[in-house]
Parts: sequence; C-alpha cells; structure tokens
Amino acid sequence: MSKKDSDIGQKSDIIQAVIIADSFGNEFLPLSNDVPLMLLHLVNKPLIEYTLEFLSFGGVEEVFLFCCSHVDAIKEYIKNSQNENVIWSQTTKVNIIISESCRSFGDCLRDLDAKGLLRGNFVLCEPGVVSNIKLLPIIKKHIESSAKDKGTAMTLIYQEAGVGQYGRCPREEIVLASNSDNRVLFHKKINYNNERKINFPLEVFLENNCVSIQHNLKDTHIAICSPSVLPLFSDNFDFQTRDDFIKGLLMNEEILGSTVYWHLIKGNQHGGAITNWRMYQALSQELANHWFYPIIPDVKKYSECFGRGAAVGHNCSISESSNISKSIIGNNVTIGRNVTLENAYIMSDVKICNDCIVSNSIVGPKSILRNGCKVTFGSVVGANVELNKESFIENSLVQSKRPEDDYDDVDKLGERAYRLKLVDDDEEEDIVGNKLARRFSRLHLDEDYAKSDDDSLESSDSEDGLSHVHSPVPDDTNMFFSEVIDSLTRGFEDKLQCDNLILEINSSRYAYNVTLKEVNYNVIKAILNLPFQHSSGQQYLPALLRTLEYFSPILKNYIRNNDAMEDCLQAIEDVAASNNELCECIAKVLNWFYDRDHITEEAILLWYDKLDKISRVNARVVPFIKWLQEAEEASSSEESE
Amino acid sequence: MLFNPEFQAVILAAGKGSRMPELTAGKPKCLLPVGSKPLIWYPLLKLQQSRFTDVIVVVFENQRAEIQTAIDKTDLKIKVEYFPLPSNEDLGTADTLRLLEEKLKSDVIVMSCDLITDINLNNILDLFRKHNASLCTLFFNPQAQEPIVVPGPKSKHKPERDLVGIDKQTNRLVFLASASDFEFDVSLPKALLRKHTSLNVYSNLIDSHLYIVKNWIIKYLKYDQNISTLKGELLPYIIKKQLAKPQKNTVTNTSIINIQDSNDIFQFAKEVDLDILIRESSTYTDHFGDLKASYHSDPIRCYSYIADTKNFGIRVNTLPAYWYINGKITDIWCDVTNEKELVKIDSKAEIKSNQVDDKCIIWESCKLNEKTSFKNSIIGSNTVVNSFSRVFNSVVMNGVTIKERVALENCIVCDGAVIESGSQLKGCLVGSNHTVPEQSQHCNEVLTKSDQLMEF
Repeated sequence: MSKKDSDIGQKSDIIQAVIIADSFGNEFLPLSNDVPLMLLHLVNKPLIEYTLEFLSFGGVEEVFLFCCSHVDAIKEYIKNSQNENVIWSQTTKVNIIISESCRSFGDCLRDLDAKGLLRGNFVLCEPGVVSNIKLLPIIKKHIESSAKDKGTAMTLIYQEAGVGQYGRCPREEIVLASNSDNRVLFHKKINYNNERKINFPLEVFLENNCVSIQHNLKDTHIAICSPSVLPLFSDNFDFQTRDDFIKGLLMNEEILGSTVYWHLIKGNQHGGAITNWRMYQALSQELANHWFYPIIPDVKKYSECFGRGAAVGHNCSISESSNISKSIIGNNVTIGRNVTLENAYIMSDVKICNDCIVSNSIVGPKSILRNGCKVTFGSVVGANVELNKESFIENSLVQSKRPEDDYDDVDKLGERAYRLKLVDDDEEEDIVGNKLARRFSRLHLDEDYAKSDDDSLESSDSEDGLSHVHSPVPDDTNMFFSEVIDSLTRGFEDKLQCDNLILEINSSRYAYNVTLKEVNYNVIKAILNLPFQHSSGQQYLPALLRTLEYFSPILKNYIRNNDAMEDCLQAIEDVAASNNELCECIAKVLNWFYDRDHITEEAILLWYDKLDKISRVNARVVPFIKWLQEAEEASSSEESE
Repeated sequence: MLFNPEFQAVILAAGKGSRMPELTAGKPKCLLPVGSKPLIWYPLLKLQQSRFTDVIVVVFENQRAEIQTAIDKTDLKIKVEYFPLPSNEDLGTADTLRLLEEKLKSDVIVMSCDLITDINLNNILDLFRKHNASLCTLFFNPQAQEPIVVPGPKSKHKPERDLVGIDKQTNRLVFLASASDFEFDVSLPKALLRKHTSLNVYSNLIDSHLYIVKNWIIKYLKYDQNISTLKGELLPYIIKKQLAKPQKNTVTNTSIINIQDSNDIFQFAKEVDLDILIRESSTYTDHFGDLKASYHSDPIRCYSYIADTKNFGIRVNTLPAYWYINGKITDIWCDVTNEKELVKIDSKAEIKSNQVDDKCIIWESCKLNEKTSFKNSIIGSNTVVNSFSRVFNSVVMNGVTIKERVALENCIVCDGAVIESGSQLKGCLVGSNHTVPEQSQHCNEVLTKSDQLMEF
C-alpha cells in the first residue's frame, strides 16, 4: 500500500480528509447522552478508531475532526491514542476542530470554509463511517473528471447492495440516475413514503442517449470533494445536509455550475456508516465477520462455541450454561448462569445476572441487569442503567438519569432506570410515516424483514400505469384483500399491536381506493381465513377463536354501525358457504360476535331474514337463531313482568 | 400428419406509407425500388436466409395483384401466402394480427415490409428461445448519419423518440413509452425499480418493428378487442404486465366481490407446468442481488435485442430514409443480403449509352439511348431515356419516359412520369404519372398533380 502517489498528490502534496463527528439527530438516544457517537463502541472498539484507520489506510495524511459536542472526551481520547502510538497515528495527523455553535452538517462545512484549512480536493466522511475502500484510485478519478468538467464538485461513493440486504438501511434507500460518464442526473431518497411512483424529469432522458437508473446502491457516506464544495455550502445557507447539497446542485445546475459524479466500489472493498441502530447492528455483524479486512475489530475470541457466531471481548466471564447466539460482547462483561443472548449487543463493563434474556437489543456500558431481566424487541438500554430483578423491557429506550421534562411515574423502572419518551422533533413529518420510520430505524428484528419487504413489493405490483393504454377492470379489491391477509398474518405471528395493524389496513385502503363497505367485508373475511394458514379440520374453531380474540380491537374499530354489521355478517356467510370448517361452527362464531357485542341481535335477525333458506349455512344457523329468539322473548317477557 | 413450425412469419405490407405520401401516391410502399429490388424483397430474403419456408404477407386487397407480380418476378424461393385486407378500412397493426388469429398456430415473428438490416435474425430468435420469452423486440443504434440533401423542399425531420428501459443484468425489456407521451416528468413505479434495480433507459434507439411474440399474445389480442396497434398499445401493455403477479388461487375465490375475470391476461400467459418445475429445480438464475427465483417467477417476460453499433438497420418509412438507403445500398449490399450477387445491370436492359458508371443500377427492359450519361443512379424497369440526357444521383422508378436534353440531378422520379425535352431538374421529386413540360427548370420542388396528394 503506497502512501504517496505522485499522480495524485497535486500541488499540495498531501491528501486531507474531514470527519464530521456529530450526527445532529437523536437516533442514538439514550446512549448518545453519555457517550459521543465517535466513541461509541462498535465490536469492542470506539467508532472513531475504524474511521481513522480507514483514512490512514487509504493514504490520507491529515484529518480534520470536526466536533460539536462531548469535545473534551474526544480530545482526550485522541490524545491518548496518539500517545500510545496506535496504527493510524503513525501516518495520519489528526486536528480537532471545535465549534459548539454548529447545528447541522452544513454549518460545519461553512465553518470549515471560514477557517480556510483545506487546500485541495479532500475526503469528506459523514459521521460513523466504517470502510476499507482504497481511496487513491477514486481521488484520481475525481481529478480526471475535474479536468474534463470544471464544475465537478463531488464524487459520491456507493456500494452495490440488493434490495433487502442486511447492510442496506431502509431509511436511506436511494434512486440514482446517471449518464455514461457517471455524472449524477437525478438523486432521490425514497425512504418510507407511500409514493408508488418515482418521477424523473423528462429532459434527463432526452438529453442523454442512455441513462442508467440504479436502485441497488448503498451509501458509504464517503465523498471526494473539490475545493469548491465549501464555498458552495457558504453561498447556500439552506444546505443543511449532504443530500440538500446534491439536490440543490442538481436543481440549479445552470446557476451554480456544479456537477456531482458517483463511483461504484468493486471487489473486496466495503463501506458503510452508522447512521442509526439498525446500521449499527448491520455493521457490527459485518465487522465481526471481517468484511472490512484489513480493518478488523478487537475481539479476542471469535468463537462458535455459543451457538451461531458470537464475538467476545477481553476479560469476560461467561457462565457455561448461557446460550449466546449472533451477539457481540464487550470487555469486562460478566454473564451469569442460564442467560440467553440472541442478537444482543453488550457493551463494556456490563453485568448480566442469572436467568436474563436479551434479544435484539443493545445494553450500554456499565449497566447491570439483575436476575431474571428480559430485554427484547429492539430495546436500547443506556449507560449506567441498573435494571431491577425481573424487569421486562420491550421496544423501549431506557436511561439511567431521570428525564427532565415530560416525566411520568409509570416510566420509572428503578433508581437508575427510566423509560425514555421519544419526542418527535420535526412536527411537519407525517405522523404515520414517522412512526414507521422509527420502528424500522431501530434494530433489525429478525429474518421477518426480508419477508415483509417482499410483501410490500408485491403489494405495489398492482396496476401501475406505465402507459396510457386502457386496462381491464383493476382488481384493486383483490389486491387490498391479499394485503390485509398479509398484514394480519404478520401481525398475528409477531404479536404486533392491533393499533398499528389498523393503521396499516387503513393505508392499504387508501392505496387501493377501496370503499368502506369493502374494507369491512374484506377485513372480516381475512380474519376468518387466517386460521387456514396454520391448521384445518378439527382445530379450526379454537384457532379461529384465538385469532378473533387477538384481533378484537380491530373488529371493534371496523364494526361500528349497522351497515358494518351487515357487511360483517355477509363476510361470515360467504366464507362459510365455501368452507366446511367454518360452516360447521358458524353458530359458535356468530355467538362469539354476539357475546362480544360486535354484532347486535337485531342485525343478526335482519341478516337471517335475508338468508337463503335452503342453503347449508342456513341449516347450521337455525339453532342459534332459535336460541336468540327465545332469549329475546324471555328477556322481553321479563321486562313486561 | 402436419407439424406446426416453431415460428410463423408475418410481414405487414399494408401500410399506406403516410410518412412519404409523395412517393406512395401511386404505388404500394413495399414496392418502392431500393437498389435493384423492391423494398419488400429485403425482409423476405432475410426470412428465407433464416430458413423460413413460408411467410404470410398482409397486403391491401387492391394492391395484391401488383405486389404478387412484383414478388414472383424476383428470385425468392420462400412460399408467400397473401392475406388481403379491405383497402378502405383503417386497421391497426394489432387489428391485422387479430384477423390472422386462425392462421397463426405457432409463435409469430412480425416484420414490417420496410426493414432493411444486416442483422442475423437467429440472434433474436435465440434470445427468445433462451428465455422462453413472451415477447422479443429488436432495436438499432442510430446510424452515424452524414448530412444528406433530400429532394423536394427543405423540411425539418423530427424523429419520434422512444424511451426504452432495459434491465442491465438480464436484458429484460421493462419499460417502453414514447417520449411524446410525457410533458415534464416520466414516472416509473417504485415496484419496477425494486425489482429491476439497475436499469438503462435509452432515448436514442430505433425500433425495428420486428417483434417475436408467443402465440398466446395473439389469442389475447383476439380476446381484448380494444388494442389496435402493436407498438403503441400492445407492447406497453404486455411489458407493464410483467410487474403484476398472477392471481393466486386462494380458497376464497367463491365470494361475490372476488369474481375472477377468467380472461385475465395471466390466464393466457400460463406456462406449462413441466417448464415451471424444471426451472424451479434448476440452479439457473437470470439475475443476482436478491434471493428471488429466476425470472422473479414471472410468466410474462419481455426481452430486447439491441444491435451492435456496427450493425446496419433502417426502416424505410420516410423520404429521407428512402433517399438515404438508395444512396447507400450498393455499399451495404453484401452485408444486407448475406453475400448475394448484386445484379447491377439487368440482362434484358437495352443499353446503348457508354457513360454508365459502376454505381448505377439498371432494371429490366430499360432503354437507354446513345449519348446519355448516368452516374450513381437507379433506373427502374421499362424506363426510356432519350439521347443527350443525363441522370446523376437520382432514383428513376418504373415506366418513366425521359425525353431529349433532360438533366436530372438529385431527383426522385416516380412511376409513369414523363419529363419532356430540355427540362432541367435539380433536387426535385416528380410524382407518379406527372408530366413535366418542355424546357422547365425546377430546383428543390415537388412536382406532382396537386390533387393526388390531397388524399392524405
């Protein structure tokens, strides 16, 4: 690995890089209150180590580390590392720039511009970069395109990653269009909005003979910048993020006279950035499996002895009766007897007592989990937290300090454990979208994601108009029905909250433009069909009752008035007509609906009047109806007495 | 016992040639002379050389005899079946195929009568076979065109542009639309991008109008009477349908709302169970990057063959294209006809002139008198050129009479025209049966009986 390359050195001779240390978001709460992102341990080593090693390995000789918070901790850390002569400090000089007034990525770059420290092209790393990319060839390419195109401002570095790949962050899905010179013509993050179409300006296609559209990319958050980037940020004070910058440049290409290029890394090069917990999880796994070789984590033993893959730090004491899989454990961790860790990320100096279960969750440094604690479903336990015996933490954030405002007694879990409420900072964002985004930005829960992603693909497969050809009657209702089935199946299996399912169903409803009547009808039909996915014959009724019980809130939400009851009964009738299982026990099912007050007596009787009297269903229903009528008579006679 | 052939070929020759009305006013488009042959000879030869033995040629009823005579005169061995269309009806290309439905038992290769190319059809047929495709199209890269001066008044020719989206990994054709369909934005479904994560969208390709379609598409056309053109309606529809999933046959198909449209396109596109089974048990996959089954389990698959930039391909459907191909045909003759001998001067021509350069093509029964001069020109059959006349860089069709002392340069003279003595024409287009009076001088004009053009 040659450190100096005469071709690339330019006049200024050395390659400079900028690392922005803060993410300016609240993704890493509650841990980010105590530990700066840069010092967050990632497979047993602070994140900054990886970034600096990568830059040093890539031939960068001078790094500007831009800090806005936790400045002292970072300063001290860098100083210690330099004193210890760690690898990167041999070849790379690190300058810390402090500006606590910066509020965004853009502010940092404007501040850098004012300081005038950068001389030539430079490497720009967004917070949390981990990579082993060889920078020199890309810098060389950047210089070549600058020679051809004077407006070249930035070369973005991307890596190929298929849809649904583990290391591809669903919050950073992008669509990128470029011409044959790899010049970016269109760049859009598509995130979790419900848009089903992506609009490209027509001139993108007309001005270029061949436009390549990529949706198989993952952002490495590394870019090569020309010196013009900093003044561009200064001139356009509304550029807050790198995405703003790209968008602004593409929109005002003529005015700003600047262009953006992109580069696809190939071979065994790999890159990514920790932008949220999900990426933290993905990159941890990748690091533990040496995807970033020669940049490797500091774990003493990487063993298979605890089931499927676990990376364990130094000085750990782990009881042999514990069951550990797909987990990463820091230094000085004590794990008691009969502990189950699955997909868990345990930081340094943690003590986990007997019989604890941690799955799909993160436990911050110096925390203590007393006997029998259970931490699951994408929970994050902050630093210095002490969880009382048998605490149960699910899908929440826990920190050691008492939150200052908005504090509720319910959220106090112990002397040093408080549940944290998430305050959404940007109100503008659509509430549904935000909730979803939050959910997914947390940990990758399990293999389900890939599946649910599939569903979403298929669901959007419907009649997407590509052209203006007439099309046959759209089968939206059917699409809606299968969507509902999917949602409910998933909801039932993963025990998702019914409220969320209702949201999902409602959004499908609007997506397919289905009438309320059809919604009611199809939801009931879907619920009745659900048990067929698991069992048949004798077991249908118990399975159905369990399902109905679980989905009670949904039923309550949809069966609101007499019309809805009618739809519901119609659905029961239709499903019963085609299914022996339901037909056999239709009376019991009706009884259930009646008992739970989902359907009133009048509605049932009204429906029965219209029922085809020679149908099989009718025969099964008769006893129930009789009973109803008798009960009615009884009650009315009671009243009259 | 009669076996169905693997492919049946259809040549559509019932076009009105509305993009070059000056030439097609008196003559079927497919018989316009290109080099030493009528236009339709080229696609027919292409088929014959790809081992097709039979072809259905769709013609207008009233042009049938003329076309048949012209084709019979050529040396083609391919058996031609003529399918006449009533000449007064305006039928789209898909309408035509619909009428042919009973005759079409196999997969179909549809060509236009105006295609001249040096491409080997087997390449496209193989692509179709390889993927068991539903639909295959052929695109050309634009020819590097040197600017040419077309006879007639100057006009700006603005070609239509298609947007063609092709998956980079698999060559699947996933998007097709005309650029003029869009005003500002082109919108692609998100699902398309998630399925085909790496696409090339071309805006400069030239559609050859050569399509290979599975037989079920013809059956579908029969069912869906609303589709009238191939390029404009059928293709975009089939291509779009690749994204949709066939309806699953769930237990619930008996309810009132769920009445299945039994003529859903996927009912037509059904694959043979054995094919699916073989594909599922094979390790072959056509793409990588996700964990989906090969072809994403799509029963409808469209592909595109994009000819190499070296290849030649043109559709002779405009005046500039016609002029261009006639200027170029001697150069590309060998490539286009696969080394057939070019008969430049027909043995039945009567040539007394000694000034005929080697770029000229003289058809049968021409009479070129003494003291005439010809350079780089095509002279159609039964044309008479009298003494002291010269014809440079021109196309003279059949039965034209050129009197004494006429000078033609860069002209197209249509059938049966008479050019009286002493005329000097430069860059002109003489309509069929038109008589150019004595001593007239014209430059860059269309000379025709004006009423003839009004039809169009």
